Amino acid sequence: MEEEAETEEQQRFSYQQRLKAAIHYTVGCLCEEVALDKEMQFSKQTIAAISELTFRQCENFAKDLEMFARHAKRTTINTEDVKLLARRSNSLLKYITDKSEEIAQINLERKAQKKKKSEDGGKNSREPAEAGVVESEN
Amino acid sequence: MADHNPGGDPTPRTLLRRVLDTADPRTPRRPRSARAGAQRALLETASSRRLSGQTKTIAKGRSRGARSIGRSAHVQARGHLEEQTPRTLLKNILLTAPESSILMPESVVKPVPAPQVVQPSRRESSRGSLELQLPELEPSTTLAPGLLAPGRRKQRLRLSMFQQGVDQGLPLSQEPQGNADASSLTSSLNLTFATPLQPQSVQRPGLARRPPARRAVDVGAFLRDLRDTSLAPPNIVLEDTQPFSQPTVGSPNVYHSLPCTPHTGAEDAEQAAGRRTQSSGPGLQNNSPGKPAQFLAGEAEEVDAFALGFLSTSSGVSGEDEVEPLHNGVEEAEKKMKEGVSVSEMEATGAQGPSRAEEPEGHTQVTEAEGSQGTAEAEGPGASSGDEDASSRAASPELASSTPESHQARRHHQFPEPAPPPGAAVLSSEPAEPLLVRCPPRPRTTGPRPRQDPHKAGLSHYVKLFSFFAKMPMERKALEMVEKCLDKYFQHLCDDLEVFAAHAGRKTVKPEDLELLMRRQGLVTDQVSLHVLVERHLPLEYRQLLIPCAYSGNSVFPAQ
Repeated sequence: MEEEAETEEQQRFSYQQRLKAAIHYTVGCLCEEVALDKEMQFSKQTIAAISELTFRQCENFAKDLEMFARHAKRTTINTEDVKLLARRSNSLLKYITDKSEEIAQINLERKAQKKKKSEDGGKNSREPAEAGVVESEN
Repeated sequence: MADHNPGGDPTPRTLLRRVLDTADPRTPRRPRSARAGAQRALLETASSRRLSGQTKTIAKGRSRGARSIGRSAHVQARGHLEEQTPRTLLKNILLTAPESSILMPESVVKPVPAPQVVQPSRRESSRGSLELQLPELEPSTTLAPGLLAPGRRKQRLRLSMFQQGVDQGLPLSQEPQGNADASSLTSSLNLTFATPLQPQSVQRPGLARRPPARRAVDVGAFLRDLRDTSLAPPNIVLEDTQPFSQPTVGSPNVYHSLPCTPHTGAEDAEQAAGRRTQSSGPGLQNNSPGKPAQFLAGEAEEVDAFALGFLSTSSGVSGEDEVEPLHNGVEEAEKKMKEGVSVSEMEATGAQGPSRAEEPEGHTQVTEAEGSQGTAEAEGPGASSGDEDASSRAASPELASSTPESHQARRHHQFPEPAPPPGAAVLSSEPAEPLLVRCPPRPRTTGPRPRQDPHKAGLSHYVKLFSFFAKMPMERKALEMVEKCLDKYFQHLCDDLEVFAAHAGRKTVKPEDLELLMRRQGLVTDQVSLHVLVERHLPLEYRQLLIPCAYSGNSVFPAQ
């Protein structure tokens, strides 16, 4: 039992490290873009700090989203939860609201198309396209 | 068992009999009661008759009635009488009872056995003669020697007294004149059910209960006290009352709802320390011991002290000034008032906080004052206190002549009175009309107040608390920033609550929303739940409203 727990923990830890590494890489890329834009260099420590911050903040977001969903007596996280999370920053909130409206529209359109297509039986081709669109938008 | 005359007058004897009867069931020996009961009744009537010459006939009738009742009533009571348990107990109690005891007791019980014996013989003989009673009584003594011997006379006397009282409609007001010996004893047993007012008979001056000495009411003192208590409500810390109450013309109300406690605190210290030896010294020194004296006088001193406090801080005036106004009169006090007003104007800003803090060094009451100020002052800075100072000072000169006793505690109690909404502008107007300030709380102009006054009114309270806990002097700008931050914080808080409620599809904010908020704040975690926080920080009254608890009858409150 303990060995399993240890291995599990090790796996989780390694998984976490991989995630952190992925975030670090992404942050590094973004910082390079900004550096090119502002013509200012970023030190490694800065990028490391930013990536660590991002990771912890993602954890907080996740917990808050879960709390919000539970508060609304749901088990799945919704766009409403996300909007609630982003309300602090006005610009971010606006951005997310716009995006969510877009998604809603697209979903409605797709549903309409689906209904049409369902008659034709062409549903399956749409679903992966929708998922891909949604992911890219989010 | 207690067949008394239900419709008749409840004589003390009958009442006692009732009591005894109710106690009967406890006594194991009942059978003997029959004879003793009869004897008792006889004895009672005999003794009563013997003593009352005039009321013989009446007594006869009564005694007969009582006798019959007594017999039946005491048939059982006698049981324990012969046993001597309750009766001896009662007898002992009566013997040791103080003269003015109210209970009428055993005198009814004890005499019972004696007189009852006499009765049958009496009936045979002519009832009217006292002489006949003597021989009749003898056999009674033989019947219950232990009981009768020591207390026979007493019992008889008591009975007679009772009878007399009954006959004349008075409870034992008359003692048997003839029995000097027994009088001392009987007086001790002279207990009546009636109010104690009666037994003061002229016949026994030594034993009569002295009527309470009534002093004539001093109307002047009474009115003064009324005024004082109405003027100085002791605990005004959290009341938002106006500084000036109504005024009776005769009462120089110095309403002091000064929040400038620290000033007075400093002044007290100064007074105590800087008292120069002057004729007024002793008078002033009454302040420190804090005799509960007239409020007015106290206020006069307070105000003077306040003015002096300002002066002393500003110009280093010695204690002499304190004395002067009291003794020299109004003028100086007014002068000081005006000076004080001007000084107070200067201070009527946030700087008052630091000044206040500086002054009362070492004065224990200062912290109280500050704390109370923090709680009491609902609005803004001490400018209001300045107003009140001026107005109170205005009235104080009138009080200057009154005795210089003041209650120090009272003084400090008054200070925490919440400051009325004043503005610095009002201060300037104050000196112009010093003596007119006695009028009832006039609506104070807000003057240079920030526009969001109603909204920020509550925040000033927190700002004061903040400055108190900071334990350091704070700049006015810092306090303003604190107020702004608090404002934003609370607005944000309420917005969040509203959003949370809407998120859950509700229109009312519920405790769940609060819990979510606290979780986001980090106060409530997986390790620390909301109930734990409630238990830690809230008083029991709130805790029992929040945390469901089971009460008797399997009821849970609050219902879940």
